[in-house]
Amino acid sequence: MTSINMTPQPTGAVGVDHPMQDAVDRVVGSIRFTIDHEVGGMAHARVIRSPFPHARLTGIDVKGALALPGVLAVLTGEDIVGDERIPNPCFGVARRDQWPLAVGKVRYAGDPVALVVADTERHADAAAIAVRVDYDELPYVVDAAEAAREGAPVIHEEWPRNECGSWALHHGDVEEGFAQADRIVESVYTSPSANPVPLEPHVAVAQWNDQLLQVWSSTQWPSIVRRELAHMFGLAEHLVEVRTYPLGGGFGAKGQVKIEPLVASAARIVGVPVRLELDRDEVFLTVAKHPATIRVKSGVKRDGTFVARDMELVYAAGAYAVTSPSGTGNALVRAPGPYRIPNIRITSQAYYTNTVPGGSFRGAFTNQVAFAYESHVDEIASELGMDPMMLRMKNLLRDGDTYATGEAMHDVHFEELVVNVAEGIGWDEAQPPMAPGRLRAKGLAVILKSTPTPSRSEARVEIGGDGHVTVYSSAVDMGQGASSTLAQLAAEFLGVRYADVRVVDPDTSTTPFDTMTAGSRTTFSSGSAIRQACAALIEAIGELGADQLGLSPAELAHDEGHVVAAMDGSHRRSYGEVIVAAGLSSLSREGVFQSESGGAFKDPLDVKGMASIHWHQGAAAVEIEVDIETGRVIVLRCHGASWAGRIVNPTRVRQQNEGNIIFGIGPALFEQLEMESGQVINPNMSDYMIPSILDVPEHMTSTALVSSEADAELHGVGEMTIPAVAPAIANAVFRATGVRIRDLPLTAERVLRGLRSVEGKDR
Amino acid sequence: MTVDDSQDSPVAHMRLSVNGVHRDIEVPDDEALVTSLRKLGFTSVRAACGIGMCGTCTVQVDGMVASSCLLLTRQVSGCELVTSEGLVEDGALSEVQQAFLDHRAYQCSFCIPGMVLTVDACLRSHPSATVSDVREYLSGNLCRCGTYPSILEAVHALVAARTAGGDVR
Amino acid sequence: MTRFVEPLTIEEACSALAADPWGAKALAGGTALVLMMRQGLVNPKTLVSLGALQHLRGIEAEDGFIRIGARTTLNEVAVSPIVSALSPSLAAACSLVGNIRIRNLATLGGNLAEADYASDPPSVLVGMDATCIVQGSSAQRIVPVGELITGFYSTSLAPDEIITAVLLPVAGDAHRRSSYKKYVSRSSEDRPCVGVAVMADFNAGVVAHLSVVVGAVAEVPQRFDELVTPAIGRPLDQQTVSEIAGAYAAAIDPMEDARGSAWYRRQVTEVFIRRALEEVASP
Repeated sequence: MTSINMTPQPTGAVGVDHPMQDAVDRVVGSIRFTIDHEVGGMAHARVIRSPFPHARLTGIDVKGALALPGVLAVLTGEDIVGDERIPNPCFGVARRDQWPLAVGKVRYAGDPVALVVADTERHADAAAIAVRVDYDELPYVVDAAEAAREGAPVIHEEWPRNECGSWALHHGDVEEGFAQADRIVESVYTSPSANPVPLEPHVAVAQWNDQLLQVWSSTQWPSIVRRELAHMFGLAEHLVEVRTYPLGGGFGAKGQVKIEPLVASAARIVGVPVRLELDRDEVFLTVAKHPATIRVKSGVKRDGTFVARDMELVYAAGAYAVTSPSGTGNALVRAPGPYRIPNIRITSQAYYTNTVPGGSFRGAFTNQVAFAYESHVDEIASELGMDPMMLRMKNLLRDGDTYATGEAMHDVHFEELVVNVAEGIGWDEAQPPMAPGRLRAKGLAVILKSTPTPSRSEARVEIGGDGHVTVYSSAVDMGQGASSTLAQLAAEFLGVRYADVRVVDPDTSTTPFDTMTAGSRTTFSSGSAIRQACAALIEAIGELGADQLGLSPAELAHDEGHVVAAMDGSHRRSYGEVIVAAGLSSLSREGVFQSESGGAFKDPLDVKGMASIHWHQGAAAVEIEVDIETGRVIVLRCHGASWAGRIVNPTRVRQQNEGNIIFGIGPALFEQLEMESGQVINPNMSDYMIPSILDVPEHMTSTALVSSEADAELHGVGEMTIPAVAPAIANAVFRATGVRIRDLPLTAERVLRGLRSVEGKDR
Repeated sequence: MTVDDSQDSPVAHMRLSVNGVHRDIEVPDDEALVTSLRKLGFTSVRAACGIGMCGTCTVQVDGMVASSCLLLTRQVSGCELVTSEGLVEDGALSEVQQAFLDHRAYQCSFCIPGMVLTVDACLRSHPSATVSDVREYLSGNLCRCGTYPSILEAVHALVAARTAGGDVR
Repeated sequence: MTRFVEPLTIEEACSALAADPWGAKALAGGTALVLMMRQGLVNPKTLVSLGALQHLRGIEAEDGFIRIGARTTLNEVAVSPIVSALSPSLAAACSLVGNIRIRNLATLGGNLAEADYASDPPSVLVGMDATCIVQGSSAQRIVPVGELITGFYSTSLAPDEIITAVLLPVAGDAHRRSSYKKYVSRSSEDRPCVGVAVMADFNAGVVAHLSVVVGAVAEVPQRFDELVTPAIGRPLDQQTVSEIAGAYAAAIDPMEDARGSAWYRRQVTEVFIRRALEEVASP
């Protein structure tokens, strides 16, 4: 019996460096974003926000605003809560603790208090100034540790200790471990708040057709937005349609649910479509990276073996929970870093604070712990007089090792990554002579990240009578090329040409459920769902084709989008022809990927078990130069690497690895949200700077490590190098100057102060 | 984005020259050029920061790049305005656009039309611009996705092609 | 409500400004004024555009002076062969302002009228003893740049006055060396943490004239001529350089902002004055 191809041969679509399908539109600028979307007769909204971090709302006078030209309505929280068409006004993914407009009190400076709806943006702006709000200021708290204390201002009545997430993990016997240690090293590391700064701001349009709600939103989570809105208005989910165009950047800022509840409520109450586009300062006030204080204590043997670790993670959640309750659990399992540590105890807590609500930020709940543990590993190395790379090689996890969660690690490549990045910047190269007043050194860091667990991706793949393939998925393209990557995967799994596959933009009325486009999960999760759908399609086509050709399915083979007789290659018929001959206009099948519900997280105070179906892995090495008179740090060279498993699109993987590095330089060296009296004082792109082209290291390279197995698991690479950037730089600064900075960002002033105290001169 | 008097500003009839074509519009005196251009359908011109820092609102005004979020439309009567759409000629991408396409110089692409216009303006006005010169010129065009390396590769190719004897079209 | 008018002569411009001293503002490039309008910091009823006053644009070398029309853009100043030859530090300072889009629109007159403490050109102009020709509805006057800028975004201009030109005295027979150093402490696109403008005239190897001006550390450019007198009549050697740098660092009363604390500004002021002086001192 000859071997029979029951499944299509790979076309090689995976691994081929195809351009994005809408590349020309992107270059010319004819691609449409949500910010370009218009609905006939739509009104424009402007948010009025609290200037105070914590205050009771004692009165809102809208009369003056209502009298102004073009104003259709001025809404307050009471209007929304009192409207019977909005039975469940509170929203939030982990806790429904957020109102579209504040009710009773405001919880952060920036909290939406009222909404003007008018015929033009300019009329809305003018009316917004005329709204008079009376506040009774309350004591406020901006620091998580302060918020945790007895007697701190209570931000949400149901959480009188401001608790917003509490997790713990223990493995082995920590006390015993420390007793066995030859040295103990303990430090505290802090990361401030920051903002993802997507260039396209949050923008949404909502329209009601009787009981049907249609929303266009620049969101990374369309399926969840639908679920939340359906709950809010007491509707069956199919009566809420959420559509999204490709995003002009997301980076976590557009995760979970943001302005959609407000816009949908306004459209419901006012009775016209409503559009809201946030100004840049409002984007800064809508979502923030969680500030964190992380205490790390390690016990090590004199030969460098890690024997014990005790960590306390404390996060400021901001005024509303968003993802803090679960995110702190994610941080918990990522906090040890990619190391073999037999005795370990970690606690992870978040506390409400009167600050901008924490949300996702590229590398969410990973950047802060990675800065802490990778700085810490170098501190240990320094204590022991060991090379930091050697110390890592001695302790990094290998296949089969037990991780802090008790799970056995598989498919881990941390040592390879460290070797790769070290070689990438010439770790062992001799130092060239330095210009006077400049110091140079290298540093590196290696990290791991869990995938969001549980999560679910569904996909539907359809072949038309013309042979063209359409993929329906709610995965969002936000610059990472998700749509094109999923098209490449579908092409591969079906054995058809990439050019014949189209992926539609998310539209919850036609695209099935996807938890979120975040956490670097899409290629793996949505890809898995598509693979399943394609396998089912192949089987269905095979049955139809066999029937049409008078063969049994076992006698049929697949070849580049055609069925043929396996024996001699005759009776070649395209998939489209098979479908038409069967009297169908199209044929579609669905697939699902569900990551196992994290049994590991069942008991929050005793997390153990499989915390992630697979672990993302990344590393970065840098060479920096410090001007010792100013303290300014410049990154001369950087090499980043991540474990991709199998690459779908080489250019896009490279752009993720390198884009992450560039993104990471910002919070490492200069990005931070600045607060004064409970207010953000730099909510603009001049006082808050993101890296420009001149901040890109002169030499920047990257590697995506892949498996030698043809069908290796696809690993997401959306966030794998960014968490390693800040600690790599901090480690390099230490090696260059002897200054150990444990607080981000590594500003020139911090470095200079450090240099002065190292020199013993303090003016 | 605020006016403390709700009275509308006076509106003027203007004839704008955009991409070589005259467009007649009614423009409030205090309307920003980016707003007018987007109303006319030139959605490649975007607004992301409102303060001239990010470059997504870049347009060419008489051959020079300017932030259309900081220009009032009333200020540019009589000027030749060029947007990214205008660089396309007879359905063919310009040399700069083609270089961006060839080198995958795009991710989310919100910043890309501004980048293209800036590279185009630099190469047109600096016959012997080096890659370093163009890089400096691009210092005020921000990209959060981090596409800078691909953009620089496109620039390398453009400068190399020019040195080899082509002109920027 | 904001209306836009575009007078064809300076006289018309001054009258339009005089007609509404509180509500009318002169609009040159617009990069500062339109920005402030967008941020809600100013709300002019009338924008008096200077866009039609083309004769206010241009650079000429006159006898002992460079005359720069107030409507000359910062980019035009930066690339001007006349300025590059006779006042290279001004060309350098103008080339460093913001980004190319700003420089294509922003004018030198507008830059001075804005009096932004963190802007580059004012320090150089103060150090060069530059003057402005200021035109009002009834009179014209000449104002040294150092007296024009009076405080945080404040000038001594009356509501009906516009700057029409900036005059830069050029070196006579002296061998003039100048330097402008812009130090950014954060991203490379940041506004300056400290800006230092240095100008030295040498005669037979010794200093005949020296000015050192520090910008971006305080409301107005900081110049202390008494601190440079020790250098006059002597070669600009390392010790003199260090003394002047140290004296300035002690004399300034720097502000705090996101770019640096007062302490930090003092440290880097000393560093950059030293570096700028070393640069002009070297052959």
